[in-house]
Amino acid sequence: MSDDPFEAIKATFFQECEELLADLEGNLLTLESGSTDIEVINAVFRAVHSVKGGAGAFGLEDLVRFAHVFETLMDELRSGRKPCDEPTVKTLLRAADVLADHVAAARGAGPAVDPARSAGLVAELEMLTHGGAAPVATAEPEEDDFGFTPVAMDLGAFEAPAGLPDLPDLPPLPDLAALAPLSDLSAPSASQGWRVVFRPHPRLYASANETGLLLRELGRLGPTRVQLDDSGVPLLDALEPTDSHLIWTIELDGDASEAEVREVFDFVEMDCDLSITPLGDAPSVEAAPVAVEEAAPDLGDDASALARAASSELDIAALLASVGAATAAPAPVAVTPAVEPVAPPPVKLAPAPAAPAPVQATAPAAAAPVTIRVDLERVDRLINAVGELVIQQAMLAQRVTESGLTRSSDIGLGLEDLELLTREIQDSVMAIRAQPVKSVFQRMPRLVREAAEATGKKVKLVTSGEDTEVDKTVIERLSDPITHMLRNAIDHGLESPEDRLAAGKPAEGTVRLAALHRSGRIVIEISDDGKGINRPRVKGIAVERGLIAEDAILSDDEIDNLIFLPGFSTATEVSDLSGRGVGMDVVRRSIQSLGGRISISSVPGKGSTFTLSLPLTLAVLDGMVVGAGEQTLVAPLAAIVESLTPNEADIHYVGGVDPVLRFREAFVPLVDVAQVMGFRDDPTALKGGVVMIVETESGQRAALLVDAIHGQRQVVIKSLESNYRHVEGVAAATILGDGRVALILDIDALVTAKRSRTPSRSDLQLAS
Amino acid sequence: MTMIEQTLTPNVAGTDRELIAFRIGEQEFCVDIMSVREIRGWTPATPLPRSPAYMKGVINLRGVVLPIIDLGARFGLQTGEPTERHVIMVAHVGSRLVGLLVDAVSDIVQLSDAAIQPTPDVASDHVKSFVKGIFAVEGGRMISLIDLDHVLPESEAEAA
Repeated sequence: MSDDPFEAIKATFFQECEELLADLEGNLLTLESGSTDIEVINAVFRAVHSVKGGAGAFGLEDLVRFAHVFETLMDELRSGRKPCDEPTVKTLLRAADVLADHVAAARGAGPAVDPARSAGLVAELEMLTHGGAAPVATAEPEEDDFGFTPVAMDLGAFEAPAGLPDLPDLPPLPDLAALAPLSDLSAPSASQGWRVVFRPHPRLYASANETGLLLRELGRLGPTRVQLDDSGVPLLDALEPTDSHLIWTIELDGDASEAEVREVFDFVEMDCDLSITPLGDAPSVEAAPVAVEEAAPDLGDDASALARAASSELDIAALLASVGAATAAPAPVAVTPAVEPVAPPPVKLAPAPAAPAPVQATAPAAAAPVTIRVDLERVDRLINAVGELVIQQAMLAQRVTESGLTRSSDIGLGLEDLELLTREIQDSVMAIRAQPVKSVFQRMPRLVREAAEATGKKVKLVTSGEDTEVDKTVIERLSDPITHMLRNAIDHGLESPEDRLAAGKPAEGTVRLAALHRSGRIVIEISDDGKGINRPRVKGIAVERGLIAEDAILSDDEIDNLIFLPGFSTATEVSDLSGRGVGMDVVRRSIQSLGGRISISSVPGKGSTFTLSLPLTLAVLDGMVVGAGEQTLVAPLAAIVESLTPNEADIHYVGGVDPVLRFREAFVPLVDVAQVMGFRDDPTALKGGVVMIVETESGQRAALLVDAIHGQRQVVIKSLESNYRHVEGVAAATILGDGRVALILDIDALVTAKRSRTPSRSDLQLAS
Repeated sequence: MTMIEQTLTPNVAGTDRELIAFRIGEQEFCVDIMSVREIRGWTPATPLPRSPAYMKGVINLRGVVLPIIDLGARFGLQTGEPTERHVIMVAHVGSRLVGLLVDAVSDIVQLSDAAIQPTPDVASDHVKSFVKGIFAVEGGRMISLIDLDHVLPESEAEAA
C-alpha cells in the first residue's frame, strides 16, 4: 500500500474498475448473444456509471467524458427508449474496449488513448443516443411507434411468476405496452420547464456531497422556485443528526432539457430520491403512487380482496396512463422512490404497470455472496504457514513412529486427528485462492475481435467452462499463453473467408476456448476449425533451421510438436499479430514453469487443438516417496499407474542399448531414474529395483526404475525456480518429514529426455 | 547470526560500508553485510541433477528451498568435500536467496568506498567477473570484494 492515502484510494478505484470492466464486457456479451434481459442492461449501465463516478472523483477528465457518453446511451437503452439491437451492442462492445483503454491510460498502465478512435466512438455513441443515423430506424421519438419492442420486453421481464391467482379483470398486456411508448413524448414537452423533487439519502451526505451546490447548479439552467419540505424533521430530542429529513421541490423554468437537469444530479443519483417531471397541469408522478398506496392495503388473501385488488390494479394502470400521457416522463429513477412502497403488491398480482420495473432494476443483486477484499500477500502468508504446518505435522508423526509409540496410543490417535484437521485447514486455505477462470476468459473476446479485425478474418469465439476453478497464481499466468495461442489460432490456424468458402466451410471461423477439470488438473483447450498444421512445411522449416536431421523419420504427432522447439516460427513473413519473435516455445516454457504441459493435435483441413494441462494448485501434491541412488524423490501420484517388481526376463534391450520392459504384452521404455538424474553412473544396475509404470500427459507409458518405494504422502510443493532455476527432469521440490529437501520428479520430462537424447540438448546442458 | 550481532559495532557514521569477510582456503573475500541474511553451519544438501559442479544442491531453510553454491568452486579454486566446520552464508542475490558455502566467516570490516581499489589486471577474466575490487587491511591482508550478482549460473539466472 502506498503511503499517500489518496493514492491508496485511487489504487482501489482502479482495482474496482478492473472488475467493473470485466462485468461490463461479460454483460455486453450476454446481450450480444441475444439476451434482452433488462437486468443485464442495467448492470452495464451501473458498471459504466460507477467507473464514471470514480473517475470524476479523481479528476480523470478524459475517462469521465467518454464514460458519460457511454452512460447516456445506456440510460436510453435501459429505459427502453432505444432498442438494444445487434449493431448497438457491437458498438457498445467497441466502446467498452475504448473505455478499458481509457482506464488503462488513466492508470498509467497503457498508452494514451488514440484521440481519433475515442472521438469516433463518442460520435457513434451519440448518434445512437440521439437516434440520428442509428442503424435501426429509431425515428423521432414523438412518432407513435406502438410496435416498440424493447418496452414490451421490459414488461415481459416483469411477467407474473407462475402459479399466481388468475385475475381475469386485469387489463390485457397490449394495453400496458401501449402505455409505455408515451414515455417517448418527453422530448416535445421539454421546453416548459421541470419540477424536480429531490430527497437526499443520508448516504449522499456521507459521500461528501452538498445539496446547496446541486441547487446552485440547477439554478444555472434557468430561474428556479425552490420549496423546502421540512415536515419530516423530527423534534430535537428525536433528531438523529446524520439522518436526512429534507425534501426540496424545485420548479425550473426555461428550456433546459431533461438530460441537462439530470446531469446536475449525475453523481448523486444513486443516493437520493429524485423525480424530474415537466411542469404543467398534470398530476405529479408522486400523486399517482399515493393513490396506489391507498389501494394497496386493500390487498388481502381472500378472493373478494383479490377481486378488489384487481380493480385497484386497473386504477393503477389508469393512473399511470394519465400520468404517462400527461407527464410523459416515468423515467426509471423518477418514479423509483415514490412507487417503492407499493411495488410489491402489483408484482405479486400480475403483469404489473411499467413503473415498478426500475424498482427491481435498482435493487442490486442481493443474492450475491458477501465478499471481502484481502491483500493477496496475506493469503499467501497464510498458505505458506499452513504449508509449514503440514510439514511440521509430518515430521512430528515420523518422530512419534520412530519413538516406538503405536498408532493406537493416545498420542498416535491425537496425531491422527491433527492430521485430519491439518488437511482440512489446508483445503480451506487453498479454496481461498481458487477462482474461476472466467476472469481470464473474459478478456479474450476483445482480443479475438481485434485479431479478427487485424487479419480480416471472420471469427467466432466460443467459450465453455468459465466457472472452472483454479488457483489464482495459475490463473494469472494463464492469460499470456492463452492470449498467444488464440492469436496464433486466428492468425495461422484459420483461413481467410474466401479460402474457407472455397474449402466448403462457413466463412466465419470458430475458435473454441474451453476449461475443464480432468484427473486433478485443469485442462484448457484452444481449438480452431482452420486448415490444421501444414506438416511438410513444418518439417521443412525444422530441417532448414537445423532443429532436426534431414533424414529424421517423425510421426505426425512429432512433427506437430516441432512448433514448440525454440527458434521455430512458421510465419515466413513476420505478421503484425503473432509473429513478434515470441514463438510457441515461449508459451511452452511458461506453461512448464507452472508444472503444466502443452500438446497439439491437428487434422489437416479440419483444424488444430492445443491442450494445456496444469495443476489446480501450485501448493500441494499427492506423491509417492521413492528412493533412487541414495536420494529420496517424490513421484506425482496422478502419473503412476501401478508398481511392480520386474522379472529380469521381462527386460529387453532395443538395439542392444535402450532397455524396455515387457508389461502386459506391451513393451514400455524402462527409465533408470537414478541414472537419468545423474545420481548413479552405472547403467547396468537394472536388477533388484522396483518399477513404477507411469503415464505421461499424452498417454504414453513408461517404466521408471527406482531402488525402493517408501510410501504415499501429500507434499507441499516448493519452487526451485524462486531461488534457483528450472532443472530438467525436476518439477519442483518439497520438504519431507525428516526436514530434508526432496525433488519432485517431472515424469514427462524424464520419459521424453530418455527418448530423445539429441546432441543439441546435451550441448545446452554443457553450456550451463 | 549471533556472531554478527556480537561483532557489530554501533557505527552509524558517514559513508562507511560494512562488509563481512570470509575465508576460502587461504584467501579472504568479503561481501556487503546488507546482502547477508544469516550464517549457519553446513548441513548435507540434496543434490540437483544436471547442475554445474559448484552447485552443491538444495537445503531446507525453515521451509525455503535454498540452493547452495560452493563459492570456492565457483571461483575456480580447489575445494574439498564440505564438512560440519564449513559455513553457509545465506545471502540475497537479486530477488533470490542463496546459500554460499565458505570455509569460515572471519571478520566484519568497515571502510569507505575510497579505500577500495580496482581489480588489477593480473587476475584472470573468470575471477574478475566476480571481484569488484580489492583492499588492504592491517596485518598485510588483502581482501577481495565479491559481486554476488554473477555467482548464480549466468545464462539461466534471469531466464528461469
